[in-house]
Amino acid sequence: MTQDRPAPRILIVEDDDAAARAAETAARDLGAQPTRVASYAEGLAEASAGDYAVIVFDRMLPGGDGIEAIAQLRATGSTALVLIVSALGRATNKIEGLEKGADDYLAKPFDPDELRARLRALLRRAAMVLSDSDLVAFGDLEIRVKARTVHVGPRHVPVSPKEFELISYFARNAGAVVTRMQLLENVWNLHFDPQTNVVDVHVGRLRRKLEQAAGRAVIHTERGEGYVFDPARSGA
Amino acid sequence: MSALRRSASLRVTLAIAAGIVLISLSAMGLQYQLTARALAARQAELLQSDLQAFAATYQQRRIPALRQAIDFRSKTMLPDEAIYLLQDREGVKLAGNIGGWPVGITPEGTGFEATPVLGYDLPLGPGGDRIAYRGIARELPGGFRFLTARAETPREVTLAGLRAVILPVAAGLVALSLLAGWLTSRWVLARIGRINRLADRVAEGDLSARLPGARPDDEFGLLETHVHAMLDRIEALNRATQRLSDLIAHELRTPLNRILQKIRMLEAPGAQKQALEAEIHATTRTFNALLDISSAEAAGGARPGLLPVDLAGLAGELCELYQPLAEDRGMVLVGDLPGPAMVLGERNLIAQVLTNLLDNAMKFCGPGDRITLSLSPEGDRHLMVVEDTGPGLPPEIRAEVTRLFVRAPRDRAVPGHGLGLALVQAIATRHGARLALPETAQGFKIEIAWPKLT
Repeated sequence: MTQDRPAPRILIVEDDDAAARAAETAARDLGAQPTRVASYAEGLAEASAGDYAVIVFDRMLPGGDGIEAIAQLRATGSTALVLIVSALGRATNKIEGLEKGADDYLAKPFDPDELRARLRALLRRAAMVLSDSDLVAFGDLEIRVKARTVHVGPRHVPVSPKEFELISYFARNAGAVVTRMQLLENVWNLHFDPQTNVVDVHVGRLRRKLEQAAGRAVIHTERGEGYVFDPARSGA
Repeated sequence: MSALRRSASLRVTLAIAAGIVLISLSAMGLQYQLTARALAARQAELLQSDLQAFAATYQQRRIPALRQAIDFRSKTMLPDEAIYLLQDREGVKLAGNIGGWPVGITPEGTGFEATPVLGYDLPLGPGGDRIAYRGIARELPGGFRFLTARAETPREVTLAGLRAVILPVAAGLVALSLLAGWLTSRWVLARIGRINRLADRVAEGDLSARLPGARPDDEFGLLETHVHAMLDRIEALNRATQRLSDLIAHELRTPLNRILQKIRMLEAPGAQKQALEAEIHATTRTFNALLDISSAEAAGGARPGLLPVDLAGLAGELCELYQPLAEDRGMVLVGDLPGPAMVLGERNLIAQVLTNLLDNAMKFCGPGDRITLSLSPEGDRHLMVVEDTGPGLPPEIRAEVTRLFVRAPRDRAVPGHGLGLALVQAIATRHGARLALPETAQGFKIEIAWPKLT
């Protein structure tokens, strides 16, 4: 990310101190400037007044449910991306939240890393200049969106349709940590956590294919956190 | 009309209509009988008064007086109303309004006694028509034969007139009763149908459904009021339960979250912190599974929230998700999924069923085992079968394995909370699907029959 732009602002609407502090920490870690309020009404007022890139909304707030705020926010013309962070954390709650316009939904209790990864993905989306370019290139690694092909230099890397979706999601979040849960939700559209490490196996396969073709690691593991797609980084 | 045929109210109305018709017909029948009897009695009286008059005449001056009396009557009476005949011992007619002694009549009884009175059928009508008579034929002292009888014709004419009235009246009565019955049953059905449609909507999960419009001040109105009161109560209870589970979620997850945030700040070895974090996530998972089970059970059979889902497509996706893991573990995962197989469901819940079953297979099977996920149509159902060649279920827990927290003692070392199959069962119930655990020679087999989307 270019550093001469002003730090993006993140609004945190959360009445639980620990959760709010975790969100503030995550925001500062990402170079964003957090603002914190603790009730539904304040949240809504602040969200419509300020220019926020991302809003972190709790659900069971004094005065209301963050999900109900989304429609009102959109009505005021706010384009801020909304991350719901809530104790209502069952798959059904998440799907309801996403259907009502939330851009992402994180259940409590959450790992600080998970929150940071979600926030980073949203900040990136907020800053992203939409390009309809068919070709996404990272050095010699090229992804052709329409043809759904991956090449490293002249070498074609054969990927399954799911693996293509996986690498596309990684590419959109290149350089940033992507968690297993994010992959399950965004690539497989599953909003619960299987007990087995199915995602790791898929990432492992894609990683080996890319590594074989590129002669270097392309997807890196962040211990305990997730994966980073970074074709430029050297070493594992 | 088939609804009408099955309806209880119509049956009752038909029974009432039949009752009305039966009572009316009986009343008319009784009336007919009474009339017939009264007419017969009148004819008998006329005959008896004739007999008494003749007897008195005979008493005074014997045959000449009788002859004179018969002559007198014969002048005013035609044979189709009453017949009189007096003959001497040679069979010569002395007086009367008929030509001769009718064939087939033999005198019976003595003098002018009241009995026996007999029925005669004589061809004395205009053109020789037969007429029914009741009267007497006697032989008087000296060989004189005397015959007098009254025609039944006036009685027959009156009764025939009565019969001619009774038949159309009965037919009209039946038609009117049926019409009344039909109107009544239509009215009752409409009132009951309203309440039944409300019950259907509630059964489909719309607890806030109510009947529109004013309620009349009758039994049906009262029933509607009662149903509404009941629904209000159910809705309030349901909301309270929902609110309670939300509150529990909030009150449990918020402190768990505080703990999780603080673990990161602890001065402790990384492995220990990760173990603590894993513990918290496992607790949350158990908690989620329990809430999912109870909400799936609560929503059992309800329609709102269900959308068309292609079982084959979804099962294919999950097969693909687990395929590499199975390969890595040396197992064979085969999907036999001819599609599309449409059901009405919640994609996420069905995915959870498949994930739980495939997770279990991965947990319990070993290298070389084969896991099959298949779909086939069976009548009005899509039969989903997940089968493996692993260790299978210990027989002692087969019957109760879909209950909460039931695990085999054998599997203590395998991670899990004993909620997987309970959740599968609850989600199947929520979709109106039937679950079966057929016995197999080897391995585990589960069948879920999902209702087809029609």
